[in-house]
Amino acid sequence: MTRLAITINGRALAPTEVRDDLTMNDFLREHLGMTGTKFGCGAAQCLSCAVIIDNPDGTSYTSPTCVVSAISFDGKAIRTVEGHAKNGELTALQKAFIEHFAFQCGYCTAGFLNEAQVLLERLARKPVARDELEKTIAEALDGHICRCTGYVKYHEAVRDVVLADPKRYLA
Amino acid sequence: MKSETRFQILVSVAAIGLSMLTGYAASQPVSNTLASPESFAGIAGTAARSAAMFTELGKVLTHPRCTNCHPAGEHPHQTDASRLHQPPVTRGPDGHGTETMRCSICHGNANFDPGRMPGHPEWHLAPREMAWEGKTIAEICAQITDPARNGGRKVEDLIHHIGADTLVGWAWHPGFGRSPAPGTQQEAGALVEAWVKTGAACPAK
Ligand code: FES
Ligand code: FES
Repeated sequence: MTRLAITINGRALAPTEVRDDLTMNDFLREHLGMTGTKFGCGAAQCLSCAVIIDNPDGTSYTSPTCVVSAISFDGKAIRTVEGHAKNGELTALQKAFIEHFAFQCGYCTAGFLNEAQVLLERLARKPVARDELEKTIAEALDGHICRCTGYVKYHEAVRDVVLADPKRYLA
Repeated sequence: MKSETRFQILVSVAAIGLSMLTGYAASQPVSNTLASPESFAGIAGTAARSAAMFTELGKVLTHPRCTNCHPAGEHPHQTDASRLHQPPVTRGPDGHGTETMRCSICHGNANFDPGRMPGHPEWHLAPREMAWEGKTIAEICAQITDPARNGGRKVEDLIHHIGADTLVGWAWHPGFGRSPAPGTQQEAGALVEAWVKTGAACPAK
């Protein structure tokens, strides 16, 4: 057993003892009951289990949770799908996903949402030219698998959010 | 179904299963050991002895545990079958992945067997110029003795690199479902040392 201290969606959890062989996915879903983070392939292939990790310098990235230990997240701050909406108000990205009917079964949605959120935050720090946008979105979402094949709709939803605020996201 | 018929079916299934198992065993590598430097003492010429020791070391250098991360292209391979790494990843500017997909995102400080995930604090790809994938042992030898293609190392440095570097050492402790490189890291280091001390000769092919 090892002690795990982690901040999830802005809330620091009381340090808790976890088994060394516990995956982060099981910690979220089974220990904390946070089932918004999905378990798909269990082999780092689909990224339906991806969460956001916030670096101290304000940058962020996503990580799968199915193949990594819970204790490797010790001292980290993460965001999950449960942390996007504030006071019941969906984010622009979540609204765009719905408007585009981007998801069907929704199994991959948490992973896509986290990845697209990280992309938006990256673009806000480092905007790209309009003619690089399509490639940038495609590369960012690459690696996420949607069995219901919502790829184009996810892409269009992210593009809409960026184009709705060009001063923020585009160079 | 009559019990006699059932028995015959069971025997046939068992026989097929057994033949599959024996076939599998027969397709395994004959030896996963490394010969010691002393066992080459019978080879008369120093250069020939040196080259023979490198050929033995080649069992390690051409093993999937090594070639998977010394790839010829931009992408690592994985498994004993050396298939392309899934999910798709690219070496990036420093061999540690791209800005948004660093090796360390999945590969932790140590193997995490419950997730079948290999790990080491320095998990990364060998540089492009150190690609071994698809090369013969002679070609790897020519490459590994060329500072321009071995990470700027003298051959003497390879004794430590192969014999003691902990990332290289992972190849002998690769975790669940991966066959380890032949022999032990100490045995590989002893072979490199003996090869260097006998002039670091390369095999002809
Ligand atoms: S469930 Fe983690 S990558 Fe598929
Ligand atoms: S919406 Fe079903 S897997 Fe993506």
